[in-house]
Amino acid sequence: MAETRKSEEMTSLERISTALSYQKPDRVPVAPLLCGASHRVLGISYDTWSKDGALATKSLLAAQELLGFDAFVTLVDLSVEAADFGQKVIYPKSSTAYPDYNDYFIKNGDDYRKIVYVDPLKSQRMKSVIDICHGLAQARGHDTGVIGFIYGPLGVLSQIRGHEDLFKDLIRHPDRVLEAVEIITQVLVEYAAAQIRAGAHSVCIDPLYSSASILKKETWEKFEGPFCKRIADSIRDAGGLVTMHNCGNGVYFDAIIKWINPVAISHAHPAYGCNSWEEHAAVWGNKVVSMGYADPATIGIEMTPDEVIEECRKEIEIFSGTNGGFILSTGCEFPPNGNLLSVTAMVKAGKVHGTYQ
Amino acid sequence: MSTGKEQLLQGLDTAVVEMDEELVVKLANQVIDEGIDPFEAIDQGLSKGMERAGQLFEEEEYFIPELLMCSDAMYAGLDVLKPHLKTTREKKGTVVIGVIQGDTHDIGKNLVKIMLETSGFDVTDLGRDIPPARFVETAIEQNAQIIALSTLMTTTMDGMQEVVQLLINQGIRDKFKVIVGGGPISPGFATRIGADGYATNAAEAVKLAKRLVA
Repeated sequence: MAETRKSEEMTSLERISTALSYQKPDRVPVAPLLCGASHRVLGISYDTWSKDGALATKSLLAAQELLGFDAFVTLVDLSVEAADFGQKVIYPKSSTAYPDYNDYFIKNGDDYRKIVYVDPLKSQRMKSVIDICHGLAQARGHDTGVIGFIYGPLGVLSQIRGHEDLFKDLIRHPDRVLEAVEIITQVLVEYAAAQIRAGAHSVCIDPLYSSASILKKETWEKFEGPFCKRIADSIRDAGGLVTMHNCGNGVYFDAIIKWINPVAISHAHPAYGCNSWEEHAAVWGNKVVSMGYADPATIGIEMTPDEVIEECRKEIEIFSGTNGGFILSTGCEFPPNGNLLSVTAMVKAGKVHGTYQ
Repeated sequence: MSTGKEQLLQGLDTAVVEMDEELVVKLANQVIDEGIDPFEAIDQGLSKGMERAGQLFEEEEYFIPELLMCSDAMYAGLDVLKPHLKTTREKKGTVVIGVIQGDTHDIGKNLVKIMLETSGFDVTDLGRDIPPARFVETAIEQNAQIIALSTLMTTTMDGMQEVVQLLINQGIRDKFKVIVGGGPISPGFATRIGADGYATNAAEAVKLAKRLVA
């Protein structure tokens, strides 16, 4: 890749679309999963940002204008869907919302039957995300990527039951878990399609447990793989692109492609079976576009802008053999309390070190 | 070791590995009924089983659900045997562990706790959302050797530094080893805040703790 900066020849949307189709855009797209951190751009509290879709939309738009990244991602927090299924959620003033861990909606094996279908269009928090997709698409969908976001069905269930108990229930009560996953999937199928109909170009599915750091591959394939396929199909049927995120260690890329077949995978670590990023790029880089892989805490909190640029240069270099199929990003959400100058530095790195010949 | 006793201890070991909580409780009661030293049943049965489960975890035969089920089985057996203990196990050290204030993600912390206990450490688990001062107070009360801090969120990482700073302010930094871990934590962060060590996972945390108290 050239070390000199060429003039910007593409819009952000063109840049992202070109990269996703393994053609070389004018430069490496930069989409650093800046979501919750945008609340600081407008100076509103995190809890307000989490609950007010209109303000979240304005914040994301202002952040994009300020920082110049190529795609929006509408991750509000991982409790969005769970809240609409009845889970009580706590909204800290200056941190990410989370389920009330002392008051899970599902408290025992029998409670899985409490999960009932919810219409996302008539819900509170899912509808808010659909509205954010709509607002972003209306304002900037013509020139900037809008990527919706949904938590995978097993992830949603973990927010309602608690991770530990859910993991144990996979062994203790597999049938009840599967019954609940089925109902949640029906909702997520509608929710994902609604985000596309609202104007999102893509929806990113987050099947967090599809990695060796949590579940055996066969376990994930039993409890979530086929359900994620239905969600992915609904995104494609609605005319959108399927993307996928998993910040776990050792993501099962083969199983993800088998069930979800995304155009891009946002990830923080090399795929399962790869011992380095170089190996990952060689094995998977030309099969599915990588969105990654800067460590959010390191890049957002510890590094100086110059260090961020150097780190990004290395990452761009590692994926230089993928014929344009790489999007520079953080491996997980940019820290809500991170240094926004680090995002500017990432974008600068894309421009300075990511220009294709 | 008599054959009956040997079989019983082996049964406990196997029942833990096979996640059979009911069988563990039944065998633990049998240990008491037959007058077998409960210390031996813990050491040669439950702990061995949990060690094997940990090994299977490292070998990627077992994953988090299986490890959690094994630990439930082990703790069920401990509940039966502990009240009858006459001798105590040789302790490798005392650890005060918890999730830092503002964060409630505790599965990583729980895995570290399980593995530390299995390895012979005495662990005081403070739970989640714990203010920095409470780690220090408890470590002093328990005469602990190690304070283990966990967080999954970038917004709460600074609480780890506060713990270290509190120890410095009270002039007791050298009395405790501080170890840190969790999703956003890196070796660089650990060094920057003056922690004594960082581990990427539960198995590594045990190795680190053993090194620090050696």
